[in-house]
Amino acid sequence: MKSIGLIFNGVWSQYALATAPKYRDIYELIYVHELVPARIAHLDALVIPFQSHQSALAAQRDTLYGFLAQGKKVAVFGDSTPLWLDAQWEDRPVNNYWWVKTPDQPPIAHTDYTHPVYAGLQPRHACWHLHGIYTRIPAEARVIQRNADGEVVTWETTRYGGVLFASTLDPIVEHGIQQIRHLDHYVDKLTAWLSGRTPTGPFILDPAAYGEGALLSV
Amino acid sequence: MLHAALISNALAGLDDAFVSNEHIHYRTETIGPMWAPDLSADELVIAPNGTDHVALWGARDRIRAHLDRGGALACFCGWFTAWVPGNRWIHDNTHPTREVELRLVSDQRGLFNGVDLAKLNVNRHGIRGWWACGYIEPAPGAEVLLADTWDRAIVVLDETTTNGPQFLTASGPLGDYRRDGDPDGLSRLYLNLIAHLASRHLTQSLPL
Repeated sequence: MKSIGLIFNGVWSQYALATAPKYRDIYELIYVHELVPARIAHLDALVIPFQSHQSALAAQRDTLYGFLAQGKKVAVFGDSTPLWLDAQWEDRPVNNYWWVKTPDQPPIAHTDYTHPVYAGLQPRHACWHLHGIYTRIPAEARVIQRNADGEVVTWETTRYGGVLFASTLDPIVEHGIQQIRHLDHYVDKLTAWLSGRTPTGPFILDPAAYGEGALLSV
Repeated sequence: MLHAALISNALAGLDDAFVSNEHIHYRTETIGPMWAPDLSADELVIAPNGTDHVALWGARDRIRAHLDRGGALACFCGWFTAWVPGNRWIHDNTHPTREVELRLVSDQRGLFNGVDLAKLNVNRHGIRGWWACGYIEPAPGAEVLLADTWDRAIVVLDETTTNGPQFLTASGPLGDYRRDGDPDGLSRLYLNLIAHLASRHLTQSLPL
């Protein structure tokens, strides 16, 4: 039974992950323009990926916080806006070539590996590149990752009932794109933390999910 | 002056590569609930990288009507739903990016004039591979401009399937990136496309 809702902005990489045989029994695509409380009532967790529709999310702010108030988990990746998230995200140039030019200077300098998503990960599996940083987070939030300047990359808080986890990493989109080939480690840990189920096997694609057959199985 | 509708699903930074100038005027067509775009005044519809293919599937009849009346379509994204007439994009991860070598197959309209293919294959940071993923199964009669190592279509110009032309990439981002220091790579290809579509529009608009 699917227990994680992937808030879906119609983006192909988001779709690729949720329809891959490895993940499709766990993730349910929730089209962002159909997001209402009844649509997500049966789920245990939500993932809001990079490349999300921020104004549509803001319109459903109460839906998201109502979900959290039930003690459930919400994981947010990439950019966000204070219109729905009590934090301030700021853009930064994306350095996705550091591993070629400065391999000894990854974008993240500090990671709290005691967090369940990060426990057991190698440093290269805990960071590939960032999409900005957070300049303000809730006062009691736990910081999980920082860059070399001490800026916040990943944090979480329980102030809304459940666990709100936010990071400027983009694991869902990049794993769906499949150009970075080592993201199973991160996404599988994330999935296990959110659902209690650990995906297994390689990331393969189902051609039947594309073209005329698209959307029929979601 | 070419009038284009830029399809937007509200991604941060989307507009940066599509700034109106003396050659092209963009209007942003933002997707929302029950989206039903009026494309009747647009000569070009642009589906940029990262766009919403659920919404575009819902608007497929409007896209088709736009093409049937001679309007142009440019899609720089992986259309996993079947809203692009005659052509199909397929995601594929069987080959790592480091094995991809793009080569020009055909270019009857000169869209690759001045384009440094080496910059599509290895970007200015030394990373191999355009951000194109998968490949296109082109419609019969469509011109394959660019192919990959395995002879799969990566860029297609289809002037056959519909009355108006379709310019399609296998999810490869395209836009005016000159501000990012890209004068003769992707930006040149995009500007050539706009110039071609603008000249085509002018020709079609002239009285017989």
